[in-house]
Amino acid sequence: MTDVTLKINGETRSAAVPPETTLLKMLRESFSLTGAKLGCDVGDCGACTVIVDGLPVNSCLMLAGQADGREVLTIEGLATPDHLHPIQKTFEDCASLQCGFCGPGVIMSSKALLDANPNPSVAEIRDALAGNLCRCTGYTKMIEAVQQAAQVMRSAKSKRAA
Amino acid sequence: MRAFEYFTATDSKHAVALLAEHAPARVLAGGTDLLADLKSSPSHAPKTVVDISRAADMRGIEVNARGLCIGALVTHSEIMASTVIRDLFPALADAAHTIGAVQTRNLGTLGGNLVTAVPSVDSGPTLVALDAQVTIAGPAGHRTMPLSEFFVAPRRTALKPDELLVEIVIPAENLGKPAHFLKMGLRKGQALALVNAASSLRIDAKKNTCKDVRIALGAVAPTVVRAKTAEKFLEGRAATAENFAEAGRLAVADAKPISDMRASADYRKDLVAVLAKRTLEAACAQSKAAKQKGARK
Repeated sequence: MTDVTLKINGETRSAAVPPETTLLKMLRESFSLTGAKLGCDVGDCGACTVIVDGLPVNSCLMLAGQADGREVLTIEGLATPDHLHPIQKTFEDCASLQCGFCGPGVIMSSKALLDANPNPSVAEIRDALAGNLCRCTGYTKMIEAVQQAAQVMRSAKSKRAA
Repeated sequence: MRAFEYFTATDSKHAVALLAEHAPARVLAGGTDLLADLKSSPSHAPKTVVDISRAADMRGIEVNARGLCIGALVTHSEIMASTVIRDLFPALADAAHTIGAVQTRNLGTLGGNLVTAVPSVDSGPTLVALDAQVTIAGPAGHRTMPLSEFFVAPRRTALKPDELLVEIVIPAENLGKPAHFLKMGLRKGQALALVNAASSLRIDAKKNTCKDVRIALGAVAPTVVRAKTAEKFLEGRAATAENFAEAGRLAVADAKPISDMRASADYRKDLVAVLAKRTLEAACAQSKAAKQKGARK
């Protein structure tokens, strides 16, 4: 067994898992965080995207042991019981999701993009979402939602600064 | 994935010791190739996996007396973000950008991309066109070889089971040598190359002639290949659109593409001619732009 202690959504968690366990499997089965999805399981679809130490990664391509000591943010870490995260809110407002299976991955990719680049161009948004496959929406409304979220997050930030 | 034993190496020396002790083992770095392989081919199940992703001495990008040294664990995203690399070799950052998508570029490493050694390896052509050397660590110490010899066959390298690729070096004499990379895939994101190509050259400003020409092609032979007929043709010739186009046509003879589900051999040959020509033109333009910039200073 591999002992793993890591910070998930701000909270320190530990588990002992077989070495071949992926970070995705540990999140879902050891910690019941089922937001990140098992899609293709080989790094093509992005449904398993989580943010590790600030960077979006395919959690299906990382062993749980490799996440030991690191900081992981999943979709469950975004909203509070009362408030959706601005990205979740604009995805809702723009009707950017249909079946929703890809949603947690898309939103985590968008979050990582906006953290690094608060005012992305459409080309930059497309590049950031190229690793997230969606079979329902055709992506256009997702790109709109990311643009709107960027605006909301920028104005919230300037308000805080003022 | 089948069960395996798992060891974490603290540095490259430790990794080599673990590989010797637990042979045959598989090496885990970014995991984007290894884990996908272990999941899709259960028969590949190794008894042992040696995780080198925490080997601190295999990270980092630096310029020293040997040249530009890139640790094997440097990720594709780190290459794209490196100001040192963007200044010296924008082609390397461009090539890194064409690999997978953001999530895989954040995990995947330069060393892993080279060690997996698929014929379409996107990191390969630019490095081969810049005469990159690889440093290999083994039980007896380090050895180096040209990257072009490191690639042996599809998915096969010169690495022995107890050896590790630790570093990639672009030699000092090539620092800042104009180079350009292009890739043609079936779509923009997450595509395998139908053909990828990189060229590097120097332009003699007085005579407007080409020298030190290198053209490297991927996905059109079992490994990355140099288009030596085309290189030889261009050496010492005028840097003109006609000569670059002719070099592109000659490069086709150095490629041995196959037909597969993605493209026919004939289409790949057409792409070789076009991509070789365009990378030569772009490297030439870069050389002239650098000289103008130098002149203004």
